[in-house]
Amino acid sequence: MIPDWKVVQDYLEILEFPELKGIIFMQTACQAVQHQRGRRQYNKLRNLLKDARHDCVLFANEFQQSCYLPRERGESMEKWQSRSIYSAATWYYHHCQDRMPIVMVTEDEEAIQQYGSETEGVFVISFKNYLDNFWPDLTAAHELCESILQSRRERENESQESHGKEYPEHLPLEVLEAGIKSGRYIQGTLNVNKHRAQIEAFVRLQGASSKDSGLVSDILIHGTKARNRSIHGDVVVVELLPKNEWKGRTTALGENDGESPSEPMPTGRVVGILQKNWRDYVVTFPSKEEVQSQGKNARKILVIPWDYRIPKIRISTQQAEALQDFRVVVRIDSWESTSMYPSGHFVRVLGKIGDLEGEIATILVENSISVVPFSEAQMCEMPVNTTENPWKVSSEEERERKDLRKTHLVFSIDPRGCEDVDDTLSVRALDNGNLELGVHIADVTHFVASHSYIDIEARTRATTYYLADRRYDMLPSILSADVCSLLGGVDRYAVSIMWELDKTSYEIKKVWYGRTIIRSAYKLFYEAAQELLDGNVDIVDDIPEFRDLDEKSRQAKLEELLWAIGKLTDIARHIRAKRDQCGALELEGVEVRIQLDEKKNIHDLIPKQPLEVHETVAECMILANHWVAKKICESFPHQALLRRHPPPHQEFFSELRECAKAKGFFMDTRSNKALADSLDNANDPNDPIVNWLLRSMATQAMSNALYFSTGSCAEEEFHHYGLALDKYTHFTSPIRRYSDIVVHRLLMAAISKDKKMEIKENLFSNKDLEELCRHINNRNRAAQHSQKQSTELFQCMYFKDKDPETEERCISDGVIYSIRTNGVLVFIPRFGIKGAAYLKNKDGLVISCSPDGHSEWKPGSLQRFQNKITSTTTGGESVTFHLFDHVTVRISVQASRCHSDTIRLEIISNKPYMMPDTELFQQSSLLLKSDLVKEVTRSVEEAQLAQEVKVNVIEKDYQKYCQTKGSSLYTLLEEIRDLALLDVSNSYGI
Amino acid sequence: MAGLELLSDQGYRVDGRRAGELRKIQARMGVFAQADGSAYIEQGNTKALAVVYGPHEIRGSRARALPDRALVNCQYSSATFSTGERKRRPHGDRKSCEMGLQLRQTFEAAVLTQLHPRSQIDIYVQVLQADGGTYAACVNAATLAVLDAGIPMRDFVCACSAGFVDGTALADLSHVEEAAGGPQLALALLPSSGQIALLEMDARLHEDHLEQVLEAAAQAARDVHTLLDRVVRQHVQEASVLLGD
Repeated sequence: MIPDWKVVQDYLEILEFPELKGIIFMQTACQAVQHQRGRRQYNKLRNLLKDARHDCVLFANEFQQSCYLPRERGESMEKWQSRSIYSAATWYYHHCQDRMPIVMVTEDEEAIQQYGSETEGVFVISFKNYLDNFWPDLTAAHELCESILQSRRERENESQESHGKEYPEHLPLEVLEAGIKSGRYIQGTLNVNKHRAQIEAFVRLQGASSKDSGLVSDILIHGTKARNRSIHGDVVVVELLPKNEWKGRTTALGENDGESPSEPMPTGRVVGILQKNWRDYVVTFPSKEEVQSQGKNARKILVIPWDYRIPKIRISTQQAEALQDFRVVVRIDSWESTSMYPSGHFVRVLGKIGDLEGEIATILVENSISVVPFSEAQMCEMPVNTTENPWKVSSEEERERKDLRKTHLVFSIDPRGCEDVDDTLSVRALDNGNLELGVHIADVTHFVASHSYIDIEARTRATTYYLADRRYDMLPSILSADVCSLLGGVDRYAVSIMWELDKTSYEIKKVWYGRTIIRSAYKLFYEAAQELLDGNVDIVDDIPEFRDLDEKSRQAKLEELLWAIGKLTDIARHIRAKRDQCGALELEGVEVRIQLDEKKNIHDLIPKQPLEVHETVAECMILANHWVAKKICESFPHQALLRRHPPPHQEFFSELRECAKAKGFFMDTRSNKALADSLDNANDPNDPIVNWLLRSMATQAMSNALYFSTGSCAEEEFHHYGLALDKYTHFTSPIRRYSDIVVHRLLMAAISKDKKMEIKENLFSNKDLEELCRHINNRNRAAQHSQKQSTELFQCMYFKDKDPETEERCISDGVIYSIRTNGVLVFIPRFGIKGAAYLKNKDGLVISCSPDGHSEWKPGSLQRFQNKITSTTTGGESVTFHLFDHVTVRISVQASRCHSDTIRLEIISNKPYMMPDTELFQQSSLLLKSDLVKEVTRSVEEAQLAQEVKVNVIEKDYQKYCQTKGSSLYTLLEEIRDLALLDVSNSYGI
Repeated sequence: MAGLELLSDQGYRVDGRRAGELRKIQARMGVFAQADGSAYIEQGNTKALAVVYGPHEIRGSRARALPDRALVNCQYSSATFSTGERKRRPHGDRKSCEMGLQLRQTFEAAVLTQLHPRSQIDIYVQVLQADGGTYAACVNAATLAVLDAGIPMRDFVCACSAGFVDGTALADLSHVEEAAGGPQLALALLPSSGQIALLEMDARLHEDHLEQVLEAAAQAARDVHTLLDRVVRQHVQEASVLLGD
């Protein structure tokens, strides 16, 4: 068999099959490969020739006198090559005295026609034909041939397409900048709509451009063409389209198409990208079947990002099959204007799809959270505290600091089992009759020097990340849980604020800031503190500090503590009342929500009110934060880190107002005071969830609170809307927030400035601080997202194993809180799940409810009103869902290979779900998130256990067959390899 | 062309030769009537023309005359069209000076100069097409021309170049092989005695390989000798036929 040059070039992989033997490669063909396909393929060919098993030879036909044919004038290279090969084949045939038939394989139709019957015994056929005739059983070769053909076709198509480019080129930077200045273009951040990632994206305006163009809303970018290769999060430059091309956004819940869009909004197209915010993306390889349809396009594979908003990424890898079931990290390299999708490369494997660790790692990567263990260099900076070598207060520090160990009764109130205690409180009566309230915060900056390794690490982390089942600390545990943590009964450094209050009016007379040494007397938990406050002394037995005391001293100590807690609560109430007058909002706690969202849900459900102690502690912290903010802002008017909460846009409240109207409440949203009052009034005695929902809607309508540098904002913008304070910052949790560390340093600097001492700390300049604030804000958002996503992950895992048809738990009561054109959004109080329920399914059928409330799908139509939605079947039955209606929903999990699983809700009855027993309701509503987490973790552990059992079985086998383990070199090597693998997988998990 | 393979797995060089194979040599003597001796040689695509005058009286300053032997004066030039890139090379540029000097050394070693004291022998060589091994072609052409002029020599001077690729010595390098930048050795040999008239090498080559390359070059030079010998005999035969009539 003699392959043509073209065949050698394109089908070399097939020629490499060991079954194909006795191939004569002509020198002409080889040289064509060398010149046109480059070194790699040529080397492959050389290896093939060297491999004795193939029985392949190279015939140097051009050096052979009777085979050499000079290239004729005007003859194309290809023609000449074919001709040379053919003549060499003929010569070879005659050389073998016409005994061996020769097959020349070519892809050139003309050559087949021309030479096909010229010489007897020399057959000229196409490669496909050759395989069919000579190797009909060699299926692998056939498949490969198919895929090669296909990819070639694709490539041809592609090159045709690329003449008309996929996307218009981006404009050069100068043009963009000039355009932005002149107002022709608009700059903003691209936000892709999660539910319509293909079509809809919005550009949130940035900076001054919004004022100039007079645009209120975002700009719609419709379709991927107009998006022009920008990816979610990029800073882009947009050109507005003429008004007649403006489009509206869709309001329907995903899946259904053809819904009428809302009224047109400003629409534009991207003309350039100013800043690419590409990060690492988690992707999944398409499943085997899909790969097949994509073809072996030179091993380029379109992988599907976990985030819906990111387009598919083209990567070239040979491991596609091995990585089928894994979550993989890729990076985008470039996006050419000729390519439909961006191209990237493979970085590392995270874990198996559906595996808890893998999914958690996915969430971390998607939020750009990197949580490698602290390095040795960082740990070297840490103080030591072991039993042999306990950490002690140094005498030097003792001299510098105010010693509160003897004089003050200091105690902390935290959630049960809390390790990182960063705030403690104290209150005492002064000699002049006034009261002294103290807030003592862990002195983290004493241990974390500015610009030390640990400081830099903490700065990058910016916050401690709390996921549903774990947390990733900002500081190493030696600090966060030990030396910095203000535990009971040990000496600790602290930064304190102490106010002198008037004994009756609680007016603040004096304030003192400074470094102190404290010894916390009691580490109380909220429930215990509440019991003490209520005068219930039985709880004392639960407090470890009291256990070893004799009756008498116990009594005395207890009295002292009771007085302190009582006084503290009194003061807190007072401060709170003052703040309420100014219009402080009680929402989901704008701040606290981050950590307690899920818990709060549950708390609101249980008829029990949140404990007053919570509020007391929170109030003291707010007070401390407020005073610190005042202080540092005074001392450093241009470089203090504060936190502001901008007042919300009124238009965002429209939904809230509508909803409230449906229930007959009026919402006054003009000021925070008015809003707070109307929220308090909007209470349906029959349904406590209504108030909760309204509050959460109000929260959603507001923008997030942000850190900022005082130098970059006007003073009137410092205001904190939610707390109704003119200045606010974060000071009280330096163990888990970096912003607090910065504030601590600022406060220390302010104190030394007051004492006319040299400022030791080199503080951030306004510009650096602004940059840092942006970073911390970003990280906070990431922390929030990751927490939310991990909670959702656990919810899904919880429901995954349950059969929604039979399991009693999967049917629950839900409340409609928003209405869309083809469905409703439902909140399930029992699990704290919010989700969409469709009233019209994919087949176009609508829901209808029989008189007993059970629903089924029937043909019909939907009609949406302001606060209700009616589904009418063709049979004339109709059912209407109102806002705040209780319905029964079935919870199931919609599994997704490439993305996170989602909870699916299905309305199965328009009647509220009746709990079999109210007591059960009480119980099951206590199935808190923590339980949910526990359950999921347990099932994961069980799976692991099962694996271990398997290993045990194998070990038994070993014994049974009298084999020693690991004795052969092979097993030893295998073990080593296993170890290596383990190492890698461990590092993913972190 | 980075991936050019000078020696294929099958042992072929780029132009289809084996490692020790020479290019095709064609030569003619007595191409010009007015000169004392002349010759034209083609070694593959390298073409050179040599003309010899003398021995004659010293021209120019008499001071140059040597009392005991003849002065050998060599001049080398190459045609503007000789290389791929058309380039005007005036007489007396560095390269041709060097080449002239090398030729002179070579022929001072071969020509019996002591037979013609106080006289001069001029050898002019021009390269018409340069495709590697110009020095060798020049020497070979000049040998023939000197023979044609009837100047007594100890022996033929046969020259050949050799290179070294992938552990193999290649004889008679073409331009492509020279340009690849490997070591390159030029050897002028007096074949019957095996004496070396001139040996020159560019680039570095490990001592262990020198022997091998040298042997390849010497063998090639001996091959050249047989060919040149044949040419000379044929020329003499033709001449004798003409004279005999």
